[in-house]
Amino acid sequence: MSESKSESGIRTPQAGDDRAPDDDVVGLLMRQHGDIRNLFDEVERSTGDARRDAFHRLVRLLAVHETAEEEVVHPVARRAFPGGEEIVADRLAEEHGAKEALSVLDGMDTDDPRFLPLLLDLRGDVQRHARAEERYEFTHLRRSADPARLSAMAKGVKAAEAMAPTRPHPGAESAAANVALGPVAALVDRTKDAVRKAMKG
Amino acid sequence: MTFNPLEQRGIPLDRQLRNWRELDVEPLDPDHCDPYTRCRVITMNGIEVEAILFSHHLSRNTVDPDVKRQLARTRYIEAQQQKVVNWLLPGTSSVLETTIAYEQVAVDLTAWVARMEPDPYLKQAYQFGVLEDFDHLYRYANLYEMIEHRKAESIVDDLTEVMPGRPTKYHHRDPVDNVRDPYDKARVDPLSRLHALTIMSAEQQTMNFYMNTGPTYMEPIARQLYQEIGLIEEEHVTHYESLVDPGETWWEQLVNHEYNECYLYHSFMEQESDPKVKAIWELHLNMELEHLHTACDLMRTFDGRDPQEILAPQLPNVLTFEPNKAYLRELLDTQIDLTTLGAGYVREAHERFEQMQAGIHGGEEPPSERVMAQHQEMFGREYRLETEGEHPDSRLREK
Repeated sequence: MSESKSESGIRTPQAGDDRAPDDDVVGLLMRQHGDIRNLFDEVERSTGDARRDAFHRLVRLLAVHETAEEEVVHPVARRAFPGGEEIVADRLAEEHGAKEALSVLDGMDTDDPRFLPLLLDLRGDVQRHARAEERYEFTHLRRSADPARLSAMAKGVKAAEAMAPTRPHPGAESAAANVALGPVAALVDRTKDAVRKAMKG
Repeated sequence: MTFNPLEQRGIPLDRQLRNWRELDVEPLDPDHCDPYTRCRVITMNGIEVEAILFSHHLSRNTVDPDVKRQLARTRYIEAQQQKVVNWLLPGTSSVLETTIAYEQVAVDLTAWVARMEPDPYLKQAYQFGVLEDFDHLYRYANLYEMIEHRKAESIVDDLTEVMPGRPTKYHHRDPVDNVRDPYDKARVDPLSRLHALTIMSAEQQTMNFYMNTGPTYMEPIARQLYQEIGLIEEEHVTHYESLVDPGETWWEQLVNHEYNECYLYHSFMEQESDPKVKAIWELHLNMELEHLHTACDLMRTFDGRDPQEILAPQLPNVLTFEPNKAYLRELLDTQIDLTTLGAGYVREAHERFEQMQAGIHGGEEPPSERVMAQHQEMFGREYRLETEGEHPDSRLREK
């Protein structure tokens, strides 16, 4: 019931769930940017419980994705190329803004008339941030990091992403069930642990 | 509604210059705009780019410095029009996203022109070409899902179907077989001139776009696919430009260009759903009316002829972006197997075609096939958007 309207009837699997080799962190993150965009579509197009469920999945995916970038990508980018420090600082400022907008939305009923306009603002911010990463950070990363490094980083990001399934949890279409998954802060902590473990292994 | 641009006056040329604030247009929202608004933007950008390039070529062939200055004045305004139109595209779109929109233009614009074209030989040229653009849309859509995990229907909505057309690998023809016969300027319907110019301009812009943006990709399959389809766009420009009678004088061609711009801005103004964009079409129409009058004066002066001899008494029916699904399915059912031989069309893979195929493919699968294999590997399926049932050609149904 929380399936987004899909003309083709085709659902693109979440990054990590397709059969891509995922040996390049940049390719993986770009696919995740698409997954986030797909979830925004799903939230916009659904109503009631379905929207509540889709929005919770979006919040979790955003949290996990940004945590993975902060843990895995930005530290490397800072050192990998001249100006990396400044580029990462710009991205973090964008992320900070998005997080604030997200926390406002997270405390709001998804049926609140103010919800959709705020969601659209957030969507614009997130999309600009994602493209800026792709153009100003990822391009340098691919150019300056060796394949083994990109592959190790991909492993860390994949471990993070496993913490936030984009598919609805079976039988978890109600808000109550989603709350049972725990607050976002705890999710971020668990994600950090998972990433660090994966990067060591 | 009847509208004769020759009888209308627009904004005087010396009041057409826009400042930075006026040039700084607000871009479309890539996730919520009307797909056909984006199609109109891409089309008009192609038209303005052609206007600028044609004027430069004309200027290079003009001796009289006063006339060069006259051309430069209009051309500068056209350069501003191009900036305003193309800057409606958002910076948050990827090249691939914009590419899919370009192919939606190629499909629905060419299909509409094919439907409306009165001349059977010209109609055949559009019918032939549209099945190739249709296949490009399908290949790029599969690449898009691989790289960005997005489905092409998030761009084209359900307005345009996405499934195989004439397979891209068969588009590589011997260059001599891309040259068509021109219409006869003395007998051609004025609408046919406008169609030929519009489609030629759109394909030329597509060629320019792919040849310049293709190498910005890092993924090998993306770079290779842009190279392959970029080469086919050159074939399409050759195909469509050869439809135009080369006996038309420079001034006659200039009048056709300006008249066509009036026709298209008028058409798009009539159907635009986005009020801000509609205001741009209206403003630009009012600018073009003056460009047209200037061009008509030049034609009268240098050719000693009245432009009314070559133009329609009133604008034709508005050129419309709308779904062409049934029409395309009919073509898919009947014209997939065509290729060109000389200036005509045949069904057999003739010797010159086979030689070209062997030469360019070098015994390997081209990027347009490999992209599908890689997509299959990644997702265990293809990406298609078949809203009206299975593919009309049983050989091209998903296995």
